[in-house]
Amino acid sequence: MTAVSLRGVGKAYGDGGRTAFAALRDVDLDVETNDFLVITGRSGCGKTTLLNVATGLATPTSGTVTVDGVEIWSITDAARSGLRNRTMGFVFQFPSLLPGLSLEQNVMLPLEFSHEEHADTRERARELLDMVGLGHRLGARPHELSAGQQQRVVIARALINRPTLLLADEPSSDLDEETEAEIMEILRRIHAEQALTIMMVTHARQLVAFGTRHLEMVDGTVRENAQHESPSDPAAPA
Amino acid sequence: MVLSTVIISRGGEESLRLARERLGADIVVVPRGSVTGVEGALLLGNATNTYMPRGVVESIAAVPGVAVASPQLYLTSMANSSCCSVSLMFMFAFDPVTDFTIEPWLKEKLGHDLSAGQAVGGADVFVPDGQDKIKLYGYDFDLVGNLEPTGTNLDQTLFMTFASANDMAEASRTKAKMALPILADTVSSVMVKAEPGADRNAIAKAITDAVPEAQAVPAAAMFGSYGSQISGVLRTLVVIVVLTVVLSLALMGLVFWMSVHERRRQIGVLRALGATQRFVLLAYMTEATLLALAGGLAGAVLASVAMYLFRDLLVSALGFPILSPSSASLFGLIVAGLLVALLVAAAAAFVPALRASRQEPAVSMRE
Repeated sequence: MTAVSLRGVGKAYGDGGRTAFAALRDVDLDVETNDFLVITGRSGCGKTTLLNVATGLATPTSGTVTVDGVEIWSITDAARSGLRNRTMGFVFQFPSLLPGLSLEQNVMLPLEFSHEEHADTRERARELLDMVGLGHRLGARPHELSAGQQQRVVIARALINRPTLLLADEPSSDLDEETEAEIMEILRRIHAEQALTIMMVTHARQLVAFGTRHLEMVDGTVRENAQHESPSDPAAPA
Repeated sequence: MVLSTVIISRGGEESLRLARERLGADIVVVPRGSVTGVEGALLLGNATNTYMPRGVVESIAAVPGVAVASPQLYLTSMANSSCCSVSLMFMFAFDPVTDFTIEPWLKEKLGHDLSAGQAVGGADVFVPDGQDKIKLYGYDFDLVGNLEPTGTNLDQTLFMTFASANDMAEASRTKAKMALPILADTVSSVMVKAEPGADRNAIAKAITDAVPEAQAVPAAAMFGSYGSQISGVLRTLVVIVVLTVVLSLALMGLVFWMSVHERRRQIGVLRALGATQRFVLLAYMTEATLLALAGGLAGAVLASVAMYLFRDLLVSALGFPILSPSSASLFGLIVAGLLVALLVAAAAAFVPALRASRQEPAVSMRE
């Protein structure tokens, strides 16, 4: 089953004339349910733009994007926001926790936009923080944590609404190797245990081994890496 | 700023209205060339040293169309009297036989006429602690009542009859360190009541023509210079307020724009997590509203306290009386001030907030 589908998607920046820059060129892509898709490429090749267009965060110049069977650029912004809130979780490259909120409040933040009552909200937030090893720091503020710990909280926040799709944009680029391995291990575990579809973009080719599928981006186009194989022991990538 | 301006302008206009209402006369006759001095005495309680012979009262009463003519005397002020909560006190004498301006008003407030030895004080006049009378120039006065505040020196004025004033002057010669300088048979002004239907302007002209020492002014024309002064100050204040509001609008717009710009990444994150454009717009407008309420309330309190503390200084600097607003009126003004603050903040925040809400989340998150 296809979780995300892009057809003929293009994205250009600039005025559309000679100064326009094409970040995506006629991209066709299907991401199947439970894929752990790793998209690599050099800086400026269009990885983040691809992720943004696929999730409704940036408008494509051409083409169609379908998520969970919904053509996301044919619905209203409010409907798109609701779809993002219900089906997607985000892990960004930059620190994205709200500094004024506690870790628990940060994790529960997406529920503010879902307008759904969850009796077990706090319990779930605690479970998720436990899962990323920070269950004992519920009331702490983001600035009290290291970059790696903050990124773990972001992962917990991404899962609070039980999404079907997790988007990770360079989730470990600001981290040291050891912390990067911890974060990637959490993502791998989530993928394995929760049957999530994950799309991750990174410039770090060594992370390809964590995924089940690899795409290479070059100048706004995607190329499938047919040689990629899922690691037999994902915890110990080659 | 807006609140202060409204308090000053409304206080000034209200003082003038009350003064005209209290005047009660159709025509005021004053020593020639001393209209401003008498206006100051009537409106502000300022001491005036211009007098005319008491004989003019009969001449004025004889002018056709004059129904009643009643003299008044404004006495030199006293400094540092122990009977007042103020450093200066003024005295105001009237003739209870002919008076039709003060006596009825006192009757209404006190329920009886003012007799010799009795006086009525302005709002700030009181009997000193440990005494049962006010002693002035060696003469004892029973303080039989106090008048409503006017925001002028009339609040520190003692009202008495001519007889009491003369008794006080007599007593001052033997009992006071300094004799009260009342010139014999002089008056400061004459209040005139016209016959019903008579042309007040014509009567005023006839009085001025008939009595060389005097100048008659129809009541409607009294305090004209103060009215012009208030209008002039009001115009200046309005210009300053408009400039302030425009500058505030620009400055707050800039501050909100910077605030939005600084938090654009947070906005992008919230949008990615599911926040709608409407949520972002409402969040910023709510923030602007709360800031406006807090700032407006602080400003209103500051303006009210400043007006309370510096009212005397303002009256002296502006040259016209400012009646302090009642609690209900002040509350209304504060609410109106808060509404203005809300409108300015909402106008300043709307464009940056709208822009932030409509920006693509990906653009918001970009460095």
